[in-house]
Parts: sequence; structure tokens; C-alpha cells
Amino acid sequence: MDIVLLQAIINGVLLGGLYAAYSAGFSLVFGVMGVVNLAHGEMVMLGAFASYWMFELYGLDPYLCLPLSATLLFAFGYLVQRLLINRMMGRPHIMSYLLTFGIHLIVANTAVKLWTHDFRTVTTAYSGSNISLMGLTLPSARLVTFGLALAVVAALWFYLNHTENGRAIKATAMDKETARLMGVPIHHIYALTFGIGAAATGLAGASLSPITVIYPEMGLEYTITAFCVVVLGGMGYMPGVLCGGLILGVTQSLATTYATAGISMAMSFFILFVMLLVRPKGVLGRGLAA
Amino acid sequence: MEISRKVLRPVLAFFLVVALLPCIIDSDYLVRFSAAILLWIGMAGCWNLMSGYTGYIDFGPVVYFGIGAYITGISMSQYGWAFPAALALSAFVGVLVALPMGAVTLRLKGAYFAIATFAFAETLKQIILEFDRTFGVSFFQGSHGITLPLTAHDNTFFYYWIMAVTTLVTVAHLYIEGSRFGYGLKAVKDSEKGAQSLGVNTFAVKLGAYLTSAGFLSIFGGIEAYWISYITPADVFHVHKTVQMVIMTLLGGMGTLAGPAVGASFLTIISEILGETFVEYYLILVGAIVVLVVMLLPEGLMGAYRDIRRRTGAGPKRRGGRKP
Repeated sequence: MDIVLLQAIINGVLLGGLYAAYSAGFSLVFGVMGVVNLAHGEMVMLGAFASYWMFELYGLDPYLCLPLSATLLFAFGYLVQRLLINRMMGRPHIMSYLLTFGIHLIVANTAVKLWTHDFRTVTTAYSGSNISLMGLTLPSARLVTFGLALAVVAALWFYLNHTENGRAIKATAMDKETARLMGVPIHHIYALTFGIGAAATGLAGASLSPITVIYPEMGLEYTITAFCVVVLGGMGYMPGVLCGGLILGVTQSLATTYATAGISMAMSFFILFVMLLVRPKGVLGRGLAA
Repeated sequence: MEISRKVLRPVLAFFLVVALLPCIIDSDYLVRFSAAILLWIGMAGCWNLMSGYTGYIDFGPVVYFGIGAYITGISMSQYGWAFPAALALSAFVGVLVALPMGAVTLRLKGAYFAIATFAFAETLKQIILEFDRTFGVSFFQGSHGITLPLTAHDNTFFYYWIMAVTTLVTVAHLYIEGSRFGYGLKAVKDSEKGAQSLGVNTFAVKLGAYLTSAGFLSIFGGIEAYWISYITPADVFHVHKTVQMVIMTLLGGMGTLAGPAVGASFLTIISEILGETFVEYYLILVGAIVVLVVMLLPEGLMGAYRDIRRRTGAGPKRRGGRKP
């Protein structure tokens, strides 16, 4: 096979892993609560900034910050759900989009006030280091993130299927009234779900910090990509995010290699649009459809 | 179709004041500022026509604004069309694009409709940005944008154009408030299946509202393009225009006649006071307003006003099954 094509595909797969890492939380929150979280990208941003400041102030390696980012974001997510979004649960879905959009504006612009519009990077010893293999280049940091994405999805899947709380979350997603009758504290479960989604997202955000530029307004772009990934893979279906991430990543990488980066953006939206019309349950047909 | 005098009177009074305003004030700044408020009232009204009444949340109305801006820009700068003709073409193209788009996306529901409309707006923005480079032509000018012929007209000219279109949007609202078509839209919001079973052609009413909204937004896009005389895809397709329309309507009250006007005036004035220097504070404040409105006033300022009137016994008795 052509080496350029192969490299493009590998880049796409690695990019797809990155997408999957930060879309898993979005999918979880939608699947359990039907909330389209428009502040999702802000959680990526907060996770990335947590890791950035730890690196800047204490010289801590970004990968050692993963637990810290995850814990902080868990607390943030739990509180946001408990104090704000829980009150929207019986109301029309538009209210939850608007509410999370309001949170997006508050968080993103407070971050601009605190940290200015500057683009920041975390430059570690291994930033920009590559593994060469038969003429192909594999950026090491992206490989790590790819592995992390697999781990996050696997952990979420395991948690949902094999723990008491995970089963309570699944039960609430299936039928919240019955779950409540069975003694599931659904308000706590909702908050826990959002917290876990936020923690996974913050973790992904922290692992992004050695790879990409970080700035307070980066969130919206990540929210949009998470949308695409989750629609492609099937809303609320956890392994779907890997599938959606890979499709989107490879498509974008091929479009960037053989056309332009701008076209690759148009391509992803076009795919999203067509998928919504043709297969709203995702390529695997396992997602939730309205 | 009948509209009660109680509704018609304040609307007529409002437009009388608006029509006379430029004759009374002689500050160019105030005319420009009032025109901006009117433009937002009209645009939020367009969003309200579709999403406020049907409950289908459109996250990509800006696409028609952008289409209108580009059609006006291209037909005036490259083909030398007159301004009114360019606006007519904009409206025509806007509706022409909206017809298949609406027919396809209106089959989706809830979040899926919202995401699809959003995706369409972003796709079109990217296509216009990349079209020339990809096909090696010089038509949309990509990110360089289009410069329109310099206008010899002052702000008052644009004020009256915007006023005319905003008036038409208001007439469309009045029509909805008192016609079978409007009852059909409201029925879709309350229960689409129920409406269908009572013989409402829900698809037709939804599409009707979508096309009306798209047509007016295209004209607004055209007017703004000529007014500021320079357009780029990033500006005219900016997601913040959508956001403004949504939030203004939400703040005023979705699916009400006065809602967009109240919300648009309030937010435009706040943003003017806080100005460019405090733009982050403005956005934080808007975020806080959105959160508060959603939590405390789900029916917007107009809903709160109605409740107060009712509680003090001044307003009409609440009819129908909504819980107090």
C-alpha cells in the first residue's frame, strides 16, 4: 500500500482515539439522561488547564495529572448536575440545552477573564517525539492518548455493567420510575452519571495538553466534534464512541491529506448531517433515537 | 382570522413610534442603535416563528442570514443588481434552500433536529470558505470576504428597510396568533401525534413556519450585508447570531408575540451599555441570565408579566390545562 495513504490512515486512527476519549462522557450523559451537554467542551478545557497549571507551577508531568483532572471534573460535574440540571429533568429537553449553553458561556468567558485569550502549550521532554516504524511516523503522545481512550471506554463499560452503581445508572436510563420504585436514588444517580462523564472528559482533556494548544475558548469546537462522534457511533452507546471516533478521524485525516483542512471540516459536518437523516441510531444501530 | 383589539393596539402604537423615531431624534448614533435593536427584534422574531411556536429547536437559523448576505453581496458587487432586487433574490434563494432542508430535517425530533440544523449551518459556512480554493474559481472569495458597492445611504435608510421587514415578521406573528395555521403550530408544540390525529397536517404547518422564517432571515442578511458593506463567512454564519436569536426569544418568552421584542431590546441595550470593553462580562452575564431564566422564568419575561397580572387580578383568567 502507498505509504502516504497508510500514514494518513494511521494518523486518522490516532486522531479517532483522541475523539473517542473526550466523547465518551458526552455519550454517557446523553444516554442516561437525554441531556445534550453543550458545556461538554468546557470540561475538556478545564481538564486541560488543570494539567497545564500543574505543569507550569509545579512541573508535574501531564500524565501524572490525569487523576487530579478527573477528580476536579468529577466534583464539578456532580455539583452542576445536582444543583442545576437535576431541576430540569421533568421539563422539555430544550430547557436542558439552554441551561448547559448558559453554563458554557459562563465557564468559557470566566476562563477568558482569568487566563486571557492566549494560546498555551505544555512542552514536555517527549512532546514531538516520534516512533519510526517501517517508514511510518507514530507520535508517542498520541499513541498514549489512544491507549487511554481504549482504557476509558473499557472502564466505563465495565463500570456500567459490573458494579452496583453502574447497574443503577443503567436501570435509571431504561426506566427512571421503575428504578425509583426499586429504591434507586435517581437524583444522586443522575449527579453521579454526570460526574463520571465529566471525570472521563477531564481525563481526556488533561491527556490532550501535551498534544494540542490550550485556550479558554477551545471548548465549543470539542463539543461539536463530540456531537459528530456520538451521532456516528450511536447516542448513548458506549463502544459506539470508538467506532464514531475512528470513522471521523480517518475521514478527516484522508481529507486533510488529499484535499485541505477546511474541506475536512465540511466533510465531518456533512457526514454528521447524512447520518442523522439516514441512520440516526449510529453506524452500529445500537444508539438511542428520538 | 381575528385578532383582538387588545393585541393590535399596542402593536400599532409600537410601530407608529418606531416609524416616527428618526424624525424626532437627530443623533445618528441613536438611529443606528435603534436600527440594531429593530434588526434583532426581527431576527429573534424569525426564530420565534419557527421554534418558539412549534417547539422544534432550530440551532442553525443563521444559515439563511448568511445565504441572504452572500446572495445580496454577490448580485450587487459582481452583477451590479439594485439593492431591492438583490433582496428579493436573497429571499427567493433562502426559501429555495429551505424547502428541501426543511422537508428533510423536520422529520427529525428533539436534539436530532437541533444538531442537524446546526450541522447544516456549519457545513455551508465551511463550503463557502473553501469553495473557491477547491474548485479554483473566484466566486465566494473564501475567507477574504466580499466588499459590497459603497452605499450612499445613511443609517436612516437602513433603519426604514429593517423596520419594514420587522413589521412583516410581526404581521406573520399576528397571523399565527389568530389563524388555523397558528393553532396548528401550537398543536405541534403541545402534542404532535395528537395534532395529527385531529387532522392537522403537521408536516405542512412546520414547513410553512420554517420557510417563512428562512425567507425573512435571508432578507435581514441582505440588508445587513449592504449596511456594513463587507461580509465574510466567519461573520455572517457566526454561531453567536443563532445564539442571540435563541436567547433573546427565550428571555422574552418563547411562542409569544411580544417575547422577541422584549428580549431583543433588553439584551441589545445591555450589550451596548457594557460595550466592547466588557465583552467577556457581557457574555458571562448572558450566560447567567440564561441559567436564571431557565431555572426561574421558563416562560420568559412575558410569562412572568402575565403571572403578575393574573395574581393581581388585572389580567385575563388562565384558560386551558397549563398548571399554574
